Amino acid sequence: MEPLDRDLDDAELELPADPTMTLNVGPAHPAMHGTVRCMMELSGENIVKADVQVGYLHRGFEKMCERGTWNQVFPYVDRCNYVSPMLNNVGFAMAVEKMLGIETTERCQWYRMALGELARISDHLTCTGAMAMELGAFTPFLWMIKGREMVWDIMEEESGARLTHSFGRVGGMAKPPTEGFAEQARAAVTQILTIIDEVENLLLTNRIFIDRLQGVGFISAEDAVSLGWTGPCLRASGVPYDVRKAHPYLKYGDVDFDVPVGEHGDCWDRFMVRLDEIRQSARIIDQSLDQLPDDGPINVEDPRVVLPEKEDVYNSIEGTIQHFKIVMEGIKVPAGEVYAYTEAGNGELGFYLVSDGSGTPYRVRIRPPCFLVTSGLERIITGQMIADVVPCFGSLNMIGGECDR
Amino acid sequence: MTEYILDGLKAFAVVMFGMNVGVILTWVDRRQGAMMQDRVGPERAGVYLPKRMAQGALLGPAIGTAAIVFYLAWAGRDLEGAAYTGRAMLFSQLAILFTWLTFLVIAGRIRRRGVKNPFDAFIATLGDPRRFFYAGFGAHLACFFVAGLFRGTPLAPTLKQIGYGGGAGLLAGAIVLGGAYAAYRIRHERVRLRLAGLLHPAADGLKTLLKEDFIPPNSDRLLHSIAPFISFFPALVVLAVVPFGDTLCFGTENGELQLTQLLETVPREGVCTAGAVNLQVIDLNVGVLYFFAMAGTGIVGAALAGWASDNKYSLFGGVRAASQMVSYEVTLGLTIIGAVMIYGTLQVDDMVRWQAENAWGIFVQPFAFFLFFAAAVAESKRIPFDLPEGESELVAGYFTEYAGMKFAMFFFSEYIAVVSASALMTALFLGGWSVPFLDRDGFHVVLGDNVIWEVALSHGSVIVLGVLAFVLKVFFLCWLQITIRWTLPRFRYDQLMQLGWRKLLPASLINILATGLVILLVQGGSAQLVSGLRTAGQVTDLVTVVLIIAAVGSLFALFLKPASHRQGLAATSAQFASLRGGTRSARMTP
Repeated sequence: MEPLDRDLDDAELELPADPTMTLNVGPAHPAMHGTVRCMMELSGENIVKADVQVGYLHRGFEKMCERGTWNQVFPYVDRCNYVSPMLNNVGFAMAVEKMLGIETTERCQWYRMALGELARISDHLTCTGAMAMELGAFTPFLWMIKGREMVWDIMEEESGARLTHSFGRVGGMAKPPTEGFAEQARAAVTQILTIIDEVENLLLTNRIFIDRLQGVGFISAEDAVSLGWTGPCLRASGVPYDVRKAHPYLKYGDVDFDVPVGEHGDCWDRFMVRLDEIRQSARIIDQSLDQLPDDGPINVEDPRVVLPEKEDVYNSIEGTIQHFKIVMEGIKVPAGEVYAYTEAGNGELGFYLVSDGSGTPYRVRIRPPCFLVTSGLERIITGQMIADVVPCFGSLNMIGGECDR
Repeated sequence: MTEYILDGLKAFAVVMFGMNVGVILTWVDRRQGAMMQDRVGPERAGVYLPKRMAQGALLGPAIGTAAIVFYLAWAGRDLEGAAYTGRAMLFSQLAILFTWLTFLVIAGRIRRRGVKNPFDAFIATLGDPRRFFYAGFGAHLACFFVAGLFRGTPLAPTLKQIGYGGGAGLLAGAIVLGGAYAAYRIRHERVRLRLAGLLHPAADGLKTLLKEDFIPPNSDRLLHSIAPFISFFPALVVLAVVPFGDTLCFGTENGELQLTQLLETVPREGVCTAGAVNLQVIDLNVGVLYFFAMAGTGIVGAALAGWASDNKYSLFGGVRAASQMVSYEVTLGLTIIGAVMIYGTLQVDDMVRWQAENAWGIFVQPFAFFLFFAAAVAESKRIPFDLPEGESELVAGYFTEYAGMKFAMFFFSEYIAVVSASALMTALFLGGWSVPFLDRDGFHVVLGDNVIWEVALSHGSVIVLGVLAFVLKVFFLCWLQITIRWTLPRFRYDQLMQLGWRKLLPASLINILATGLVILLVQGGSAQLVSGLRTAGQVTDLVTVVLIIAAVGSLFALFLKPASHRQGLAATSAQFASLRGGTRSARMTP
């Protein structure tokens, strides 16, 4: 690592006449999303050596999770991948449910799927849009943000919050779907697909855009697997690994969708895989909304896990006690450990949870897809030009909150 | 003495043109970007006027213009023959134009702001504001039709008088009505003047004057401070060689120019020798070369800024700017050689004259136009060639370390470079001030040897038409560059160099070769070939006219299309629900 307190006076020249120039990019640099530092050794415009340093957004979330109840972890996972928080909510809820050995209701499962895929759409829209914007094409970015806004409108309608929903609960969701959910989601998805078509018209036949992405930031399937990559970045390299297909959870086994796979593993493939995944997510949402029952319980019938109705809390002694126990002591998760994983926006989001039987998590270890994907950044930008850092880094979709936690 | 005053005036006009169009472009750039991205651009800056002042600003000019119209009508009442006919036609057409425009605007206002009085109620009963346009368009055509139908009949003098007097009266009336109505509709004690948001870039520009002028501690203070000026100045002075209108001919007395005596008419061929005033700041005999010299100086500014800032990103930007601009300067210079070979001159004024007589450069050198356009965009350092700024990789490139007015000067010089490049492209390839079929004494639509339509115009109106045409062409090219800026991503450095040296440069060399061959062929050609080429030149004029009419027609079609409900951004779920036809509590209809 480059020492931070390099003494400038010791250097004879400010810009040494070495063949290489050391350039400090980030952490406050537009290409670094504000959270990553990259020391580059440059020979002209070419990157000879790159040293990627993460951790500038480390907030100690895993440690903070250990001081509250299990349900109080949701706000922390919200702030991990803040572009698709709903997927993190669902992922953590499922991990705790696995420990408790409970199965959520059918309505909850379809609801979680629909919400999760909407969040995935918002994740991919942000990533692909930002990629185009960083290459100078500002228009597609704002079109896509318009689409993301539609998703957030739905999220706001459902959960009351646009960005950090904290909507998941162990054993279900905080609220049942609103009355107009299916209709609003269908309308939004239709409009988003139109936006995607428009963006493709603008970008995919554009010679400059193709040249900037094709053959840039190449990584082979072997390298990607050995680095622990998952998600769209791995699939772009040609490995069809998708948790939703490989180890179906919720109702993913019952819906019909494809896993888009790239050929070369360059930025172009990563861009295209994400665009295709938006279409596949739209298919899943459509099927989930078809199957989502109009009524029925959203939470499991388990008084040890789920908060009672407010009416019962105020009117019955059992309800009051149940509410008190869950809020004050937390859910009593049996002692043991579990690793549960779901497909988040950037790949396999794993939760390794250890419980000592009290109402508080003993250890919450989050396996963020971004951290492992970012570890490959150094490899894919070495030997490229300085301008290539932008599409390479953009296509990895590093989310600082998730990477550094 | 007169010459010096004229030169000063011309220089002032050109500088004002460049700077103001630069400001307007800043606004257009942001507004158009906003339009393409379905959002509202920056347009909120405004100046507050007291009610009386605003009313005066509306009524005063209206009454003044009406008085001028009456004076013109009164002064020309004794005119004879064609001049009287022409003026009667002008008055009637202008009267129709102003009448329908005034009513259209009033009807649109009423529809948006609601009915306030019986007059509004009456206008509102007439229905869709578009009807005023249709009626006005019909009246324009009917006016022409009546004029043609009764030509030479005993009724003609009466009709002419009706057209003259009635037209002038109606015109003045429409102007006063519009002004009075606008003044009447002012309700608040203070009026916020926004000028469609045009004040916003001006306010932004003024704001930079008050910002801290930051100079990095280890930088070269002198060079750091000089660089913005070196960048700003050449972009502006390039406009000096661009002619913005045809030569004006004044009367002379004892060899002295008489600025009050503009010639009424001039012969079709040739340019007057005595009393000529070129609408160009300076008619250099090296013309185009001056442009390259000045544009080349602009590089120095960017490179110096990059070097003097003591910042590696700035250095990168400066090096990129220097290499990019030098590379594209080569293409820029070589593409123009084909045009110079054909026009046979380096003087920009003569080039425009050649195009006015024969055919526009874009038809003679289509290939060169596109190469020149690409290279000119690269010279102005805008997307897709904005590598020296490269905001996502180089932060802000060569002006990373600039703040306040110095930054604004870099920013602004970019826009002025767009204007000056557009002006030069207009002069070189789009016929400068020339209007299709417009000669120095009026319109002559001629194909081969057949005269299709002719109309005589006074010298002054021909010049005004030319200047207007020039300004419109410049605006068109500026708009084109701004559209490109909002559509394309940027190149990578090696791709940029490859495009410049491996594609554009050979293409421009091939263009020179091809041009040379064609010139040789034409020089050795028969008289038939020459007359065929002349006809071809006239056909290009015809094509231009058809294209312009099609463009204007489609613009009208666009404006007349019923406004669709905005399917835009829904900032809240309530808005989203209402877009879908419902509210939060009520079900939405699909």
